[in-house]
Amino acid sequence: MRPTPTPPPPAELLLDGLISPILLYGGCILGALGVLLALPKRGLSPQIIGALVAALAFGVVLVGMGVKAGRLGLPNFNFYLFATIALGSALRVISHPRPVYAALYFILTILASAGLYVLLSAEFMAFALIIVYAGAILITYLFVIMLATETPTADQVEALSEYDRYSREPVVATVLGFMLVAALTTLMATGVSQLTRPTETAVARDINQLPGRVDAALRSAGLLHADESIGAPAGQESIFLAANDGLPEHVSIAYGNDKSQFRTISSDDPKWPSDLKLSNIEGVGFTLLRDHPGSIEVAGVILLMAMLGAVVLAQKKVELDEKAKLAAQNRSLAAEFLPQNSPLMPPPHDGSPNLREADVHGAPSGFAVASNKVGGAA
Amino acid sequence: MNLLSTLPSTLAQAGFPAPMEPATLYHYLVVSALMFCIGLIGFLTRRNLIIMFLCTELMFQAAGIALIAFSRFHLNHTGETFVIFVLTIAAAEAAMALALVVLLFRRKETLDASSWMQMKG
Amino acid sequence: MIDLFAHLPLLLAQHEAASHTGAGHGGVAAASAVAPTILPAHGSLPDWAGYVPLLPLLACVLCALCAIFRVRSKLPAFITVAMLAAGFVLAFLTYQNTTSSGTGQYAVVHLWDWINFRWYTPGEGHKSIVHAVIANFSFYVDPLTCLWMLFVTGLATLIALYASEYMSHDLGAGYCRFFVAFNLFVFSMACLVMGDNLLLLFLGWEGVGLCSYLLIGYFYQKPSAVAAGKKAFIMNRIGDLGLSMGIMLTYVCFGTVEYANLFQSQDFKAYLEAAQHGHFDYEHIPFLVQLIPVLFTVGAFGKSAQFPLYVWLPDAMEGPTPVSALIHAATMVTAGVYLVARFFPLYLVGGNPFACAADCWLFSWATHISALDIVAWGGAITALLAATIGMAQFDIKRIMAYSTVSQLGYMFCGLGVMGATGGVSHVFTHAFFKALLFLACGAVMHGFAGQLDLRKLSGVGFMKGWGIVAITMLVGCINLAGLPFITAGFWSKDEILGDAFANPHTRAIGVILLLTAGLTAYYTFRVFFRVFVGPKHYEPGDEVHAIQNPGGHAGADVAHAHHDDHGHDHAHAPGSESRGTHDSHDFHPHPPGIAINLVLVILAIASFAAIPLVSSYFHSPTWAAKLVLTSTAGVSPSAHEHQHEPFLGFSDAHAAMKVISGIVAILGITIAFFLHYLGRTTAATSRADALLPMLGPIPKWAQHKWYVDEFYDAVIVKPLRVLSHIFHLIDKLLVDGVVNLFGLLPRIAGSLVRRQQTGVLHDYAVRMAAGVTLVILVVILFKGGVV
Repeated sequence: MRPTPTPPPPAELLLDGLISPILLYGGCILGALGVLLALPKRGLSPQIIGALVAALAFGVVLVGMGVKAGRLGLPNFNFYLFATIALGSALRVISHPRPVYAALYFILTILASAGLYVLLSAEFMAFALIIVYAGAILITYLFVIMLATETPTADQVEALSEYDRYSREPVVATVLGFMLVAALTTLMATGVSQLTRPTETAVARDINQLPGRVDAALRSAGLLHADESIGAPAGQESIFLAANDGLPEHVSIAYGNDKSQFRTISSDDPKWPSDLKLSNIEGVGFTLLRDHPGSIEVAGVILLMAMLGAVVLAQKKVELDEKAKLAAQNRSLAAEFLPQNSPLMPPPHDGSPNLREADVHGAPSGFAVASNKVGGAA
Repeated sequence: MNLLSTLPSTLAQAGFPAPMEPATLYHYLVVSALMFCIGLIGFLTRRNLIIMFLCTELMFQAAGIALIAFSRFHLNHTGETFVIFVLTIAAAEAAMALALVVLLFRRKETLDASSWMQMKG
Repeated sequence: MIDLFAHLPLLLAQHEAASHTGAGHGGVAAASAVAPTILPAHGSLPDWAGYVPLLPLLACVLCALCAIFRVRSKLPAFITVAMLAAGFVLAFLTYQNTTSSGTGQYAVVHLWDWINFRWYTPGEGHKSIVHAVIANFSFYVDPLTCLWMLFVTGLATLIALYASEYMSHDLGAGYCRFFVAFNLFVFSMACLVMGDNLLLLFLGWEGVGLCSYLLIGYFYQKPSAVAAGKKAFIMNRIGDLGLSMGIMLTYVCFGTVEYANLFQSQDFKAYLEAAQHGHFDYEHIPFLVQLIPVLFTVGAFGKSAQFPLYVWLPDAMEGPTPVSALIHAATMVTAGVYLVARFFPLYLVGGNPFACAADCWLFSWATHISALDIVAWGGAITALLAATIGMAQFDIKRIMAYSTVSQLGYMFCGLGVMGATGGVSHVFTHAFFKALLFLACGAVMHGFAGQLDLRKLSGVGFMKGWGIVAITMLVGCINLAGLPFITAGFWSKDEILGDAFANPHTRAIGVILLLTAGLTAYYTFRVFFRVFVGPKHYEPGDEVHAIQNPGGHAGADVAHAHHDDHGHDHAHAPGSESRGTHDSHDFHPHPPGIAINLVLVILAIASFAAIPLVSSYFHSPTWAAKLVLTSTAGVSPSAHEHQHEPFLGFSDAHAAMKVISGIVAILGITIAFFLHYLGRTTAATSRADALLPMLGPIPKWAQHKWYVDEFYDAVIVKPLRVLSHIFHLIDKLLVDGVVNLFGLLPRIAGSLVRRQQTGVLHDYAVRMAAGVTLVILVVILFKGGVV
């Protein structure tokens, strides 16, 4: 919180300026009902009705907000599209009994979120989100889901675990969750009402530090000729863009044989390129590398540690508990009756008649690479 | 190819557009709060360890939306930078958590979170 | 250590310089002109005098090393004998140095600083008062010290030699343990006797108590030995409490615990002068000063087994006989006598500790009792009581123990009747003949497998190989009985009796002592006539060395091996007569070996050789009296002027007592001869049995030690036990209850919330989310605080 010379205005809950409380809290109750219905339960589980109710509740809230927002405050139409998709698929993530589908719906949530990012002029983060989340993390999830799923036995029609099919205490969780929604939205309404809008020049002036970019833009606009370059007399700045001191935007250009002559191009020029402003990725770059270089190092260390941790965990030999031991024993018994070169069984480990070694083979084959080394520390 | 090269300019303007109304910001924040709570509800109701971690990712995502919205409102990039770190933490968490999930599954052959009750005092 | 000794002369010189300046300060010369001489001249000693206690300590360490290296030979005994003999030689040289001038002198041998605190408090004006607690590890050597060190080291050497054979059935860890404690005892005793301050004395005092405990409980697998050790230790604590309180009071009253500074302090000289003029009121001598000797007496009575703290000593005979001889007959139990003799001037000062209570009718009788009266009457009561108990006992070692108690009572009487010389002379002679008696009894016990009952042994002196034991036993007996003129015991006892009768106030004590002398002669020869002469008969004891062998390695076999060494001589052994236990069919007594016999002979000769040293027939004053008179005990009270008054027709009381005590002793021996020798045909019976019914229940009471143990048990132990049970209940119900209550509250609170701890991840997550929601709701409801 930046210290301000004037004392802040007395804090009040200004929910009324943003949404009618009745609509907000009614929407929350309705949404809770919808989510409750949408969650998988034993017995009657009208998931579609629940989804519709939840969508209705979301609509109620959106309408409530839109009414109060006025014409200027309304978001882009695409916001409604992306928000609905994101929340709907998020609901599906938590309500779909099959983990694989949940993960796929999560990808959809990510894509819709990326849309919201784009609407918020954060296109770099939008694409980074898609690449990192949908591309990398979710693929890992899918791998793990496939590795760590029980194989269906004969009497099981579906390969669905009991713990996937039914929710656990849905009422408590839903009520709690939507109480949190009501509390958060009320609280955020207070904060949002007190925010003051800044001007963008503080950030936009970073373009002055990118002469190459300005040079290219001016050349493509035809304002800069082949024998000219951006330059100013010694001791003076050459680029004055996004200035807020009342002066017009202008660029000093040097020309002549020894670049000793100078002229100025102003933004009043009709050929002035409209996109000669700091783009999103440039702004992020400046903020990240100039303002937070230490955080990058910390993030790098965290990632390195995560990698090391994953390696150590993957190497750790696991002791099975009784039930799993029995299963592993059965498997190794079955292996004795099968031909040694049976394609169904992993190759036997040399000189490892004990159960523990068998356990390693009994583990899912993708992780059976775990060596015999005992992990030192978790 | 043409589409990809023009995508940035079609999706967004160069530089920030006009300043944002607080009411618009509130729209995004409500969506963020809803997504966070859906993630929370999922974490509390689902028993599959992998789904539970997916729900935490949902909550991360909600936080990301709020951060980007504030970044947009304040016309600077600090929020976006923060989302980068959120992504970093999410990736690290995913790596560790999934490795743990695999270990747990190899031990009990189940992903049910209720089967791990050793935290009982 | 070496460095320390290198600096020893320097330290000594410094100390002497300090002493001289202290002595030269103020009007000491004027005061000493009026007051009697308390201290002999300050002399000097070569620094090797300090080695006397260190040699036993070295032997102790070496024996401990033997134990560590599991030596299974007699090496520890040889080390001990060699070191103690060297110590005796050094002690003798020290004695010669000390007495060479003829007048006697004292010297302080400073080894190293031990306790040395100084601090200052602001005094009047600009001066600050110096306080100091100084107790160095240094030795105060004067003739009294020399006398004690001579018989302590000499007897310890002889008894160590005796023990080398006596303890040989227990070679190994037990043997080493015995000699470690033995040497530690001699070291502690030397610290006690030689220390130049009360704290070093107290260190030695506790050290000998500890060694006594260790050695009484030597056969720690025997419950009675363990109980006896504990009893001795606990009874001694009572006395030690008195002594430690006395030491503290000494520091409070005189500001020092060093003998030299104490006896030369201005205050003390003033008190002594006042006492010699008969001013015992509190204006002249403060009450606390008068209390010190009373507290010292408590300590001395505890250590020297005087009434009412004597009951531990007879039980202490559970220890090995050499221990009984050295510690519980000759040396340690005389520590109390040493304490009284060393602080004899203080006893003269502490005239009247009870005068403060004179106004109270309850204590009006006590207004004229002085500390020396307490000593004398305590000794007299003990002497008579122990003698009567000794008459009725059947265990010969216990008889000797009671006789020790009785003779210690004699010594205290000697001190208490203002005759330090008599008491100390008796300590000296008693040390030899009582050690001799114990060792002879021990030889019997050793040879007859622990048999000590005089009803089951008879005619031992006529058996083959037992002649020396019988003869030396006879020597010890005539000494103890006080056979006139030819025994040292007679002369030293006569000294005490003479002193007692010389003072009209103490003649009642003299009568008691005379009666005790007769009883002593009787029970001494009762033992001799029943065990060593008469018809030959024996029954072996029940412990054929098996119990005495804590290591558990074939003790019985060792014993039998001994028997084999001495041959299967059925012809001379009247074992065919023996009846009773089937053990006796295979049992043959083995007579003592060369070491035991040698020690017995040396001691017998020594007890005769002591006659010229204590007999007034040869020198007057005697050798022992000269030693005493040139030490701190040599202060003669001015009131003590009755020595040469005619008494009962003789020239003085001493001359009368020579005749009367001799007659009494011969009478006692004669009665014993008639009752226990003449007409005795079996071991178990004698003519005395016929007399018993005439005395009514008295013999039975005496045999049960006048029920003193039972009395203590009923009056002290049982109430204390009840009290401790009550306190235990209070502790358990009240204290523990409160504590448990405080423990219970969190437990109840914990049990309420414990079920929340399900171990299920979801439950924790639900609570966490609920907590977050609650926090936000609180923020909203108390708006303005946060946002």
